[in-house]
Amino acid sequence: MFARLTSAAVVGIDASLIEVQCDISGGLPMFQIVGLPEKEVSESRERIRSAIKNAGFSFPVGRVTANLAPADLRKRGVGYDLPIALAILMASEQLPVVSEARPIVGELALDGEVRGVPGVLPLSLAAAESGLPGVIVPRENAAEAALIEAVSAYPIETLAEAAELLRGGIHIAPIESHADELLAQRTDSIEHDIAGVRGQVQAKRALEVAAAGGHNLLFVGPPGAGKSLLARTLPELLPPLSFDEALEVTRIHSIAGLLERGGSLVTGRPFRAPHHTISYAGMVGGGHGVPGPGEISLAHHGVLFLDELPEFDRRVLETLRQPLEDRSILLSRAGVSVRYPASFTLVAAMNPCPCGFLGDGQQPCTCSLADLRRYRKRLSGPFLDRIDLVVDVPRLPVDELFEEREQETSATVRARIAAARRVQWLRLRGEAGRYCNAELSGKDVRRFCKLDGKAVELLKRAVARFGLSARGHVRVLRVARTIADLDACENISSTHIAEALGYRSDRRSTAV
Amino acid sequence: MALSGAEGEERACRLLRDLGYLIVARNWRSRFGEIDIIAREGATVVFVEVKARSGQAYGGPAAAIDARKRERIAATAGLFLQETDCDLPARFDVVTFVGDTPRLYRDAFRVG
Repeated sequence: MFARLTSAAVVGIDASLIEVQCDISGGLPMFQIVGLPEKEVSESRERIRSAIKNAGFSFPVGRVTANLAPADLRKRGVGYDLPIALAILMASEQLPVVSEARPIVGELALDGEVRGVPGVLPLSLAAAESGLPGVIVPRENAAEAALIEAVSAYPIETLAEAAELLRGGIHIAPIESHADELLAQRTDSIEHDIAGVRGQVQAKRALEVAAAGGHNLLFVGPPGAGKSLLARTLPELLPPLSFDEALEVTRIHSIAGLLERGGSLVTGRPFRAPHHTISYAGMVGGGHGVPGPGEISLAHHGVLFLDELPEFDRRVLETLRQPLEDRSILLSRAGVSVRYPASFTLVAAMNPCPCGFLGDGQQPCTCSLADLRRYRKRLSGPFLDRIDLVVDVPRLPVDELFEEREQETSATVRARIAAARRVQWLRLRGEAGRYCNAELSGKDVRRFCKLDGKAVELLKRAVARFGLSARGHVRVLRVARTIADLDACENISSTHIAEALGYRSDRRSTAV
Repeated sequence: MALSGAEGEERACRLLRDLGYLIVARNWRSRFGEIDIIAREGATVVFVEVKARSGQAYGGPAAAIDARKRERIAATAGLFLQETDCDLPARFDVVTFVGDTPRLYRDAFRVG
């Protein structure tokens, strides 16, 4: 007998529908899975066999062949357990052979229980694109699958229940989840409030500018000054995720298997802080078979925080250059290439020197000049070029540490940032995919960055005095544009330019 | 105690007949090895391996028949199906003796 069902294979952030076929013929008892399965798919045979037996069915004798078509698409993951098991039950006439259009995914436990799998949201999207009205998914993933309005998500808990559903013996109500409500339910409460960091007025200001214009930021300061704490506040300073953004973030987290059990939409901006020992594949994506998303994609629409920046493998840092420009990464392997979105704000932190006390004032720096040079050399010029703002985070003076002054809260800062972002949005309107000042091209800068007389004078003098390159010049203007937007100024004044000049990344290297 | 091979097979046959199996062939030989009993149960061909001399400390059929033995039986069974031009589903059973009590393991192992 022959039976077929629909399932899905995830490649990159997309799923494509595939057909699960099963044929049982006479001959020696054998069970094989064909159709370019990866090792974990072939291994599912033992799970399927036990699950079928323990769900009260019998595993058919004879030659059982399951095929995953199209056969040229690599199949990964454990989501094929359930559709293969159901196809076997149909082919062995333990279930009527029905034509079932709804795609099915699920991992089987040995006792026949259906467990959650990654990549269910992409499956739902693929079903919607193909005009299919529903999907049959593990209960754990149902809320996630239901995020797509056009698709009903039927939750399944056991193999026996799935079999009954196909037979038409039971009715299962689809799970509903309303993405707009989930977004509306977001509270304004802030977990990491900027008011929790004492002092550091200059660093907080730089953080505000970075958030307002989408600029990348580097904190330089001794250990314990609050660099990590400051970085942690950034996701909540940024404007909340829009629905489309939230869906994109959820999609990537779904593929990576990082959604909480039973979770659905990711509503907060991601904050990823990989350790400096991270590998190339961990950072940009990779792995065997179809490459999976890396930290830069998991930080999509959020913040990527690299603490101890010079400690990162230089090769890993260099690979960030291209995604920082393109806001996505293309991973090509033999036979497959996938593109993952990677539009993130980079926040990096480093000590001023290996011992951490250069310019401290109290503690003397014990590093030699050669040490310093070696330390700085770990960061390449082209990489630093992509960081618009560099700011010092000095050790807090004792009196500031104990001062009982009211600190500004994230809610206040966020309101200013939102206003500045709105100005940029109205100016750029997402033309050519640009929404914020950090994305301004050289042409845009000429068009949108109008300076008043004194500002022109100041910039001219700075160019002459610091030997500012053309690119450095554009960078200063972009940052000045953001500062002016925070000030609600149409034209850029000399104070805006002066502040922007203070954030230059080449400012420090001249000191060494 | 030990049962001789032939004696064990004889008693296994009796057990299978009692259970409604139809004995088709005994000691069917190929260049790969030998199958002790070939029977039919309904529409299924059953290849039966008899383990007569397993001792008291015996664990299960999988322990008694190692991978090499299974492969030999499977190859022989494949040849049998080919030669008899049989298109029925097939199964491997094992009969063991604990003391002189026979015990039947249906569907004891599979090929793939």
